[in-house]
Amino acid sequence: MAKARWILPVALWGVLTFFSYEFLLKVEERSLFLYDALWLKDFLIKPSGILSFLSLFLTQFLHIPWLGALIWTILLTLSAELTRIIFRIPVTLSALTFIPASIFVAYNMSMGYTVYLTNLPGYFYMPLLGYLWALLTVTVLRKERKAAVLLILFLTWGFAGYYIAGFYSLAGTVATCIYISVSGDYSRTGKILPIAVTAVSLLLAPVAFAGTTTYNISNGWIIGMPEQDYGLTFTRMQLPLMLAMVCLAIAPVIKFRNVLSGKGITMAIQSAAIAVVIAVPSLFWFRDDNFKAELGMIRATELMDWDKVTDIYSKLQNRHEKDPSWQPTRVHVLLKDLALIKTGQEGERAYGFENGCKKQKTRCDVPMAFQIGKILHLNYGIPGICNRWCDEEAVLFGCNYLTYKYYAMIAILLNDNTLTEEYLDKLEKTLFYRKWAREQRKIYRDRDLLAQTAPYDMIIPLMCYDDIITSDLNGCEYFLINHFNGPMPANSTPLYDRVALYFALDSKQSALFWPRFNIYLNSNKPSRIARFYQEAAYLFCNIENDPRLETLPFNEKTRNLYKSFMQSASRIGMKSLKDARNAIPANLRHSYYFYFYYVNELEMF
Amino acid sequence: MRKYILFITIFLLSVACTRCPRNYTDGTEVCIFPDYTDITVPSNIAPANFMIREQADKYYTLLKSGNSDIAIKGKKVDIPLRKWRKLTALGDITVTVYEEKDGKWIRMKPFRINVAEEIDPYLSYRIIPPVHESYMRLTLNQRNLTNFKEKVIYANTMASKGADTQCINCHSFKNWHTDNMQFHIRQYLGGTILYRNGKLQKLNMKTDSTVSAAVYPSWHPTHDYIAYSTNKTHQNFHTNHTNRIEVFDEVSDLILFNLTDNSVSIIENDPAEFECYPSWSPDGKRLYYVSANLGNPAEVSKRGGAVAANSNGTFKYSLYTKDFDPDNRTWSGKEIFYDAAAVDSSITWPRVSPDGRWLLCCISTHGVFPPNQEVSDLIMFDLEKGSYRYVDEINSNKSESYHSWSSNGKWVVISSRREDGVHTRPYLSHLNNDGTFTKPFLLPQKDPEFSHKFLYSFNIPEFTVEPVKVSPRKLASFVKSTYASPVKFEQKREK
Repeated sequence: MAKARWILPVALWGVLTFFSYEFLLKVEERSLFLYDALWLKDFLIKPSGILSFLSLFLTQFLHIPWLGALIWTILLTLSAELTRIIFRIPVTLSALTFIPASIFVAYNMSMGYTVYLTNLPGYFYMPLLGYLWALLTVTVLRKERKAAVLLILFLTWGFAGYYIAGFYSLAGTVATCIYISVSGDYSRTGKILPIAVTAVSLLLAPVAFAGTTTYNISNGWIIGMPEQDYGLTFTRMQLPLMLAMVCLAIAPVIKFRNVLSGKGITMAIQSAAIAVVIAVPSLFWFRDDNFKAELGMIRATELMDWDKVTDIYSKLQNRHEKDPSWQPTRVHVLLKDLALIKTGQEGERAYGFENGCKKQKTRCDVPMAFQIGKILHLNYGIPGICNRWCDEEAVLFGCNYLTYKYYAMIAILLNDNTLTEEYLDKLEKTLFYRKWAREQRKIYRDRDLLAQTAPYDMIIPLMCYDDIITSDLNGCEYFLINHFNGPMPANSTPLYDRVALYFALDSKQSALFWPRFNIYLNSNKPSRIARFYQEAAYLFCNIENDPRLETLPFNEKTRNLYKSFMQSASRIGMKSLKDARNAIPANLRHSYYFYFYYVNELEMF
Repeated sequence: MRKYILFITIFLLSVACTRCPRNYTDGTEVCIFPDYTDITVPSNIAPANFMIREQADKYYTLLKSGNSDIAIKGKKVDIPLRKWRKLTALGDITVTVYEEKDGKWIRMKPFRINVAEEIDPYLSYRIIPPVHESYMRLTLNQRNLTNFKEKVIYANTMASKGADTQCINCHSFKNWHTDNMQFHIRQYLGGTILYRNGKLQKLNMKTDSTVSAAVYPSWHPTHDYIAYSTNKTHQNFHTNHTNRIEVFDEVSDLILFNLTDNSVSIIENDPAEFECYPSWSPDGKRLYYVSANLGNPAEVSKRGGAVAANSNGTFKYSLYTKDFDPDNRTWSGKEIFYDAAAVDSSITWPRVSPDGRWLLCCISTHGVFPPNQEVSDLIMFDLEKGSYRYVDEINSNKSESYHSWSSNGKWVVISSRREDGVHTRPYLSHLNNDGTFTKPFLLPQKDPEFSHKFLYSFNIPEFTVEPVKVSPRKLASFVKSTYASPVKFEQKREK
């Protein structure tokens, strides 16, 4: 039984490494650790800053998910073992010691879309490190000493500990007081003095440091915990961490020796504890196939692995083939479209996938701009709006590896060498992004080389339009549609023409489609017209009785599919859009005709 | 005994190591950052630390003034404060950099750091990310120019609560003293914060008769008034340009706030004009401001119209004046002072020197907010001779924007984006007796690399002769506990 407790961490490591690595990578991407003194200084001026700094140091290793997961699992196990040793919990009840760790696992893994909104640097490791600090606090302070020594020690620890670990240190000193007060090993002075000094430090430490820092003093007692923000509530952000600390306070109260009086009771408690330790993370673990696929697609997009982007989409679609209520989210659709455009397959494959606008499984609104705003705007050649979202993100949640990476790419695209150097300098001070920074340094001054190097080779041709001053009004998709459906640039490139044609196709407006179709044919000179462009042209010709119906080289498949589709549609007749959509045979659903007539209620963001 | 021998040996070695190279060849001009070559500094400024931007095996820098010198080894020249003081007290400083390459020393061409009058010891500014609509962490800071100490005056994080955040802006002081200070807080717990002789006030400056709360301030130098602009400001973004953002007003007017009875009255609110940036003459009898004529106000009252006007560069501000009788609070009619629009330019931020001789403004191609424009320059009017000139000795090929005079009128601080086009930094320049300026230099920092590493902007630099007297915590506690009191609206008094 005692040895069996090691199964839990090993299992956790396995699950994290093999099933949640995309999430771990997202956590890492949205953090920052610079090997730079000025950056460190920023952490030294705030209580709990050191804890934050250490957490960020550890977070960087999530870049290699198995390693990051291993470090986290080892620290979780260490916290359980230390809890057992410090509170003298028998090995036969060791599952109890994993309860705080299970709360930390549940806390992090329940995050889901909140990962885009949390603004506490190092939040992933902070609760755990804070708990370890609290354990250290109990260990150091619980020994009985002379009154004067106790006084100095508790005062020093109260204030210095608060500076290092904020809330967690305060919780640790409170736990120590509980430990001392319930223990029979202390004299009266040995009990009263620590409680009195702790009360003083509890009251005064946040006030004392308030003068040197710039936090809201009313948050002084919970400093080190993520703030409630952007719809993130107390229940989500702070209560679980407080509960973990309550375990510390309860542990000394329980007389484990008494508990052990009967083997049956021990077994029952141990079993219940194991159940809790497994149930808590399992219940709260954020499981959402769409979210997981989004993270995978975002990751593949960052790596320019366009085939993987569409593969993930296809697999997701296949997994839900039998679920009529399933829909992709707009993140899926937009990234899939981007991947198809990048590989020149949008005309052949774009409508071969399910379309949709499934609401993301999130309790609070997570703007799409924070999820994929940077990726879309940069890849579609709109660096100004990409920069805007880097800035907004940096202001709200702090700069992270990705924002610096995007800042650098924007500066490179705009040929702004001074800024490029500034951002690459930042990334060179990181452990895992310095290689990327060095690679960029080799190419960015040589514009010809740059124009042939991914991702710039597919972005620069899209920047052929004249700069305009505008606002995306926080709507990524609308902005992209308006951008590409606006006036065509005088010197448009073949790639721009192709993308503009696709956006015209997607907007279902023949007035936009035809001019762009002609431009596309002239500039791209395709050996054959891609399937969906043919379908759109054939459809618009039919709707408008356009004579080009006879002159354009439509293939037989396009004509036949149209015929079958129209027959099928007329058979279905006047039903609600949803019913009619579901009544269309599967072989006709993945056509432009279906998209044109039956995909009409997409909510965009 | 051994310890002593070791100590003496180390000491002697270190002395030997800092000895000036004797055998060298003369080289060219040295490249350093910040560029402190041939600049003029105030005698009380913090050490002008710099780093040598050339690759060499060893570096040796000698700073010499009178019979005193400082020798510093290494690429980063970190000058001890006390020794620097000693040098500046003796007069101009000659700096010689030696570089050792392949075992041979090269003496780079020496440069001078001239020493001039003292500067006001404090500089206040807002630390702000370069481009954004959100605000999570903004601070008003005060830097002691005589050393490297920087303190927070107020930080929005001190009163913000979760998503309820504040924008803080437009800090301003009366006559370079901190007994009379103001700044605005927008959004959460918002209001105009006034600190007057130890007393704090929080005011809601928006009335039914004004377009917005108070924005850009100018303290009256002799009476208890503050002239403000009222603006409805928006920002839009460039899609494909090294310029990132365009800030513009949808509507703007001028108001006068009377501190004695907490009342506001209109100075200018012509619907066909966008008035902005009021600034008093030193005697308080004249108000300078800028204004853009819109032609058809109905057109530009729509937001889209304003955007279009801005993006086409047709939104151009000219400089106006209005005479004022401070005792009776009466105004004369407006007079155009410089018709920038007529020469296809836009003029902003008029600031008169304390002696009333010079009027320094910002000039750009269009718009009301030059910091975010790719190029904007300083232009200076000689109010005695009635002439003007572009201040070429200060202007760079990037944006020069907000500027402020020191209390003795001998120094100006300029907000410049000359380093990278995005992050605004404070540069200092000395006004010579002939009305020319010395080469502007970047505000010294302890770590000369700071400017490369710190990716925030310094916004609205303002000199003061003394530190701010109210603590950040007191300000925060006041902000949190006080509702913004309304102000009265009074009719304008014409002469």
